[in-house]
Amino acid sequence: MALREPAWRVTARELETSLEEERGEGDRAASYLLSPFAARMNRVLVTGTLSPAEPIGRDESQPFWRARLTDPTGAVAVTAGSFQPRAMAQLRSSPAPRPAIVVGKPHLYRGRDGVGYVSVRAEAVRFVGETEERAVLADIVRQSLDRVDLVDQIVRDPTVDDDRLRSGGVPGAWIRAARESLKRYPVVDRDAFRRDLRPALRRISGDSGPVAPGPTPPPTVTLTRTPPTPEPPPRAPTAAERAEESIFLDHLDELADLSADGYADLKELLARLGAEGVAAGRAEAVLGRLEEEGVVEEPIVGKLRRA
Amino acid sequence: MPAEPSSPAIPEVRLRDLRPSVSPVELVGRVITFNRREVVRKSDHSRRPLLSGLLSDGTATVRFTWWDPPREGIERGTILRAVGVEVREFRERPEVTFTWRTRVSPAGLGDLPKVDAEEIPFRTVHSLNPPDEGFRLEVRVVRVAPRTVTVGEERRVVYDGLVADRSGAMALSSWSDFGLSAGEAVRISGGYIRTFRGRPQIVLDERSSVLRVEGSDLPQPSDLLRSPPRSIAAVEDEGGGAAVAVEGIVVGLLPPSGLVYRCPQCQRTVKNGLCRVHGQVEGKADLRARIVLDDGTGALTVNAGRAETERLWGVTLDEARRRLRDEPDPSLLEESMLETLLGRRLRVRGVGTKDDFGVTISPESIEPVDVDLDAAAAELGRRLSGGP
Repeated sequence: MALREPAWRVTARELETSLEEERGEGDRAASYLLSPFAARMNRVLVTGTLSPAEPIGRDESQPFWRARLTDPTGAVAVTAGSFQPRAMAQLRSSPAPRPAIVVGKPHLYRGRDGVGYVSVRAEAVRFVGETEERAVLADIVRQSLDRVDLVDQIVRDPTVDDDRLRSGGVPGAWIRAARESLKRYPVVDRDAFRRDLRPALRRISGDSGPVAPGPTPPPTVTLTRTPPTPEPPPRAPTAAERAEESIFLDHLDELADLSADGYADLKELLARLGAEGVAAGRAEAVLGRLEEEGVVEEPIVGKLRRA
Repeated sequence: MPAEPSSPAIPEVRLRDLRPSVSPVELVGRVITFNRREVVRKSDHSRRPLLSGLLSDGTATVRFTWWDPPREGIERGTILRAVGVEVREFRERPEVTFTWRTRVSPAGLGDLPKVDAEEIPFRTVHSLNPPDEGFRLEVRVVRVAPRTVTVGEERRVVYDGLVADRSGAMALSSWSDFGLSAGEAVRISGGYIRTFRGRPQIVLDERSSVLRVEGSDLPQPSDLLRSPPRSIAAVEDEGGGAAVAVEGIVVGLLPPSGLVYRCPQCQRTVKNGLCRVHGQVEGKADLRARIVLDDGTGALTVNAGRAETERLWGVTLDEARRRLRDEPDPSLLEESMLETLLGRRLRVRGVGTKDDFGVTISPESIEPVDVDLDAAAAELGRRLSGGP
């Protein structure tokens, strides 16, 4: 059954620490970003100060915009392209940092050096007043605490079964998320996460004003456990190469999302990249690198997907 | 009325005890519903008449199929004795077939199995599922109102309402007037459960009986209409419900939201000037909002009608039509609506039904919720400072 995925209430901090993914199998399967704090996210609801957006695509027919959402715990990139026209229009409409609510899909891009970048592809953006921002933040903090408490409960009593948790009113999706998150992140400092939430409390109570937007580079989180491919690359990738990879993967994901079979067509992808100023030769080189790293695979000639 | 003497080898069974078997059985039952049709045999294109419907003896109701039935004399309520009936199972429920070997004769009330009221088990609303019957139930009538419907060529009055006990609430549909009124506590027997628009309801008819009782441990209608909201995940798990209350944040709108045109005859949405049923019609303008409400545990759709949409959006139907004349792009209206609603916290009560796309609520009330930020900060502060 294709039930709509709930919007997980998360802080920017929780998104920054999320480095695990679960890719669904089969047709139209949903994929999830897993956080260490029991969120299994296909969709998120975040709030904070949204900075003015900047265009990151080079082709006018394929616009793509990125802004930064800063909440009291951290910051996350919010993007929107021509497939989210309303969200993109909202992002572009704001000349100055303002409080906003964003509903969207989380994306993880992982560089080869064990650095993860999470961004939120916006489905809907709305600029709000401070009271509304604080009310949504209260919801986010409450559910974040509920989720880490649930993980603690399972850690304290590993024999507790799902039925007992459910009868205590815990949603099935949360139990599943908590168990998966414990499996993927066996060593996590949940008390540190609770401490990270305290600045949000000051914002909810009105003791601190809106958060100033953070610096422009995206937040980075270094993996605390062994990255999947530990051997160092022959040479560090340049910033330009990494940007190309990011654009490459964004387009690949979009094409895969749109296609009936879940694969991105290589020709279409190259056309789009060409339109963004990435020449075919360079795009092939990027593809080669990504394939070598196991990020992308080509199981059918001319058809790409995430590995 | 004495029927033909039945062979002692064929046992008479109550429908409740019916099991698929190779050997034919004898039974007595009352025709609840039936319809006639003809089956065309492929080999010689000959037509064979067939009568099928539901048969009940007060202990259970089963589907029956009657090959080559008499042309007349079968009506709703006719009591029959059938000897030499075949019992099969379809979808895990027994069904009976009357073939050329079956002898069917009229029977009377006295031939139906005696069901002692005391032996019928009491059940709670929560434990009932279609196609249950043969139960007793003590419930409070939360609300009830007559409605006229057309059944075939007949106009009938049906009493629609909602009943509840401590375990839950369920819709009620009574084809017989028991003089029910809101607030009464009643003991129901002889009802059955069926699915209507995707959720279970209790159906009463002329075979049912209703007794007024004290019902001191039953909830009051006001308890039910003011019950606290539950998590959307719980509502999804239960497949909706007759009296659902949830609270969440608006995270989106589903099409069609905004200005829609409805068929003046059937209220269906008109597309390109065409009604799905009535063809080319002059659509009547209406406002609606299909709100996606999300509480972090799940998401559901709230189908808001014109009055609720106008109140939430702050734009009337006339205003929306005026805007459309000035700016002939209907998507702008939807955008403006989303702009107003996104992120708003709403508490919604109503009837919840579930299909492949999840739960949809037909709301009885939609109330914006103001969050008490001081209280929220105090509560979260306690949790963050102490903490496990």
